[in-house]
Amino acid sequence: MLSRAASSLFWMARYLERAESQARLLDVSLTMALIDVPEDREEQLSVPLLVTGSKEKFDELYGEITPQNVIDFLLLDDRHPNSVYTIFASARDNALQVRGNLSADVWDSINLSWMELKELRETGVTESSASQVFDWTRARSHIFRGAAYGTLLRTDSFHFLRLGTFIERADTTARVLDIRHQMALKSEEGQATQSFFEWTALLHSLAAFEAYQQIYGHNILPMNVAELLILELDVPRSLHACLREVVALLEQVENGEARKARRMANSLYANIHYGDRDYIAERGLHEYLTDFLERIQQISGQIQQDYMGWQA
Amino acid sequence: MLIQTPDEGLYDELFDENHKVRPHCRTLENWLMNSDESLITEKRREANVLFQRLGITFNVYGQDQGADRLIPFDLIPRVISAADWQKLQAGLRQRVNALNRFLHDIYHNFDIIRAGVIDAEQVFANPQYQPGMQNLKLPRNLYAHIAGIDMIRNNDGDFYVLEDNLRCPSGVSYMLENRRMMMRLFPELFAQAAVAPVDHYPALLGETLRAASLNPNPTVAVLTPGRFNSAYFEHAFLARQMGVELVEGPDLFVRQNRVYMKTTVGPQQVDVIYRRIDDDFLDPLAGNPDSMLGVPGLYAAYRTGNVVLANAMGTGVADDKSIYPYVPDMIRFYLNEEPILKNVPTWQCRKPKDLKYVLEHLDELVVKEAQGAGGYGMLIGPRATQKEISHFRDLLKARPHHYIAQPTLSLSTCPTFVDEGVAPRHLDLRPFVLSGKKVQMVAGGLTRVALEKGSLVVNSSQGGGTKDTWVLENDQC
Repeated sequence: MLSRAASSLFWMARYLERAESQARLLDVSLTMALIDVPEDREEQLSVPLLVTGSKEKFDELYGEITPQNVIDFLLLDDRHPNSVYTIFASARDNALQVRGNLSADVWDSINLSWMELKELRETGVTESSASQVFDWTRARSHIFRGAAYGTLLRTDSFHFLRLGTFIERADTTARVLDIRHQMALKSEEGQATQSFFEWTALLHSLAAFEAYQQIYGHNILPMNVAELLILELDVPRSLHACLREVVALLEQVENGEARKARRMANSLYANIHYGDRDYIAERGLHEYLTDFLERIQQISGQIQQDYMGWQA
Repeated sequence: MLIQTPDEGLYDELFDENHKVRPHCRTLENWLMNSDESLITEKRREANVLFQRLGITFNVYGQDQGADRLIPFDLIPRVISAADWQKLQAGLRQRVNALNRFLHDIYHNFDIIRAGVIDAEQVFANPQYQPGMQNLKLPRNLYAHIAGIDMIRNNDGDFYVLEDNLRCPSGVSYMLENRRMMMRLFPELFAQAAVAPVDHYPALLGETLRAASLNPNPTVAVLTPGRFNSAYFEHAFLARQMGVELVEGPDLFVRQNRVYMKTTVGPQQVDVIYRRIDDDFLDPLAGNPDSMLGVPGLYAAYRTGNVVLANAMGTGVADDKSIYPYVPDMIRFYLNEEPILKNVPTWQCRKPKDLKYVLEHLDELVVKEAQGAGGYGMLIGPRATQKEISHFRDLLKARPHHYIAQPTLSLSTCPTFVDEGVAPRHLDLRPFVLSGKKVQMVAGGLTRVALEKGSLVVNSSQGGGTKDTWVLENDQC
């Protein structure tokens, strides 16, 4: 397929996934801020700003961390690249560039979300209407996924789209885990209950709370959470699950010449597949995740170079 | 619902001069009379939302992304009888054949010029003439693979050709989407009327494009200026429907006079390019050097015969206003037939006899620049002041070569849903004619309608809308 189209599909999927995780993150942070003791509220609200690396921009534009300010900034503000609105605008722009490769249903799912998001921006979102918006975001993501699964031909269009989804998802999981982990460490020095809520929030923001309950039971232990989100193949947002998809997709994509991205992905995959919790504990979770983030970005770059890059 | 009666002296598509419904429009009129106004208003809202969802919108440069605009769609179809279409179809086929013969001739043997039918100056001095196309052999001698012929129905009830579009005629996606919309909104209506389908247009287009190459299994691509172009929706739509790649200039490159697409598995050669970019922007090395839309080296590859462009380069000379008056003569000259479709009578002011007539009848004629476009430098006699007329008299005397004149035609009307209810509005028709192994078209075309009362301007940029166009399969219904 056309390299530019592959690139647009890849980025379209990345942005859509990013918009969804952004909404989940914000949702959980707002809930946590309600539960938390008043002096820690700001810290809770700043999590989604830290994960997306947009704290500085927020300080510049809003200054004070309040639920409403964070909602405005992260949902609908078009003055920076990390709001759900701007992320979605980028997704839709990529979709438009690659309309020729999208099924009517996939296009409609994206374009309708965009139309509704624009309306939402007109009306604005308050603290009390926010959870409806989060529900809406999740539902729209499911519709997009359903349309993509149900209507796209299993050709390279589909594969590049899925590659974007899983690279972005792995990136998000690692980032969120890293930041929540650091916060939990801090509060563990304080209260055990506080840390329980931290880990719960983490699991919720990655839609893995119920999975944890099923696998480990009610007792929430930090190393179990890490194991679940990194190593557990059956959890859809775990690093292991994402990498397995990336490796499988790269095998299906046509082009025998391009080996570099495959080599890098397989190597990272093996690292997780044959890893265990002791290995992670030994390296230290933060170091482990920092290394992972670096490598997933290299893989993303290499995919673009192998399949989408053309020297003039 | 109440339908306003048409104006005296104008041809109405639905009612005859005695305000009786034309027999072939009975089903439609019945439906209109029995439809509740609130239902139509509701359906109209539904149509708007659906078009927005489809993304059949265009962005206006420099405006917020929120400014996606829709071309207004009118819910009341325009009906063409089977008998009228039979004649139109034969006439269109004949006309496009002659135009393709003409294009081949003026880039090869110049027979029509030698025979004295058209002056050499009219052809060779035309800015649209591409000397580089001379003696270039094109498969099947085809130049205008896709033609959009603009027609109007005059108050005498006859169809006239207003303009031939042989460069990159657009609007066919509206023809297709309008039909899809009507079938979705009013399925019961289609159960009663025998309307000829249009859905297979993309299939015919694909067939035409493949037939444009000598390669039996050619790779076809649609070349678009990109998503900021107002017709981008159509480019993407047609590419998707034909199952071919939609490419932009930077997706292509030329090596050893062959054109390749940049794909994920390496270079892939392209045999046919359905280009929706004007001649001048196709290749910065041959045309406009600032063009970022084109492909450097494309013209050389084309000249070598390694790629087919649809339409060919240099077709613009045949759809120019100064060539238009000669189309009936072309038909007689190349095909030895009498023209089936009428041309609007045109006086060419460079001819002394014509000039004399024009000067005597300025208050009833439309005077246009022969090479002008977009309605600039035009005199509409019946609506002009004495001062404007005398100004044009001076212009005509000084530079008669620059002008042509035509009678003011009255476009037919059709009931249209507007703010004041259902009222007659003027419209035109653009059928799309495809030339490949044979000349083909789907029954119908794009109907554009001027939504302002009394207005004759159907262009979407100036408040025009579109309608579904029905060609009946038989007139007994």
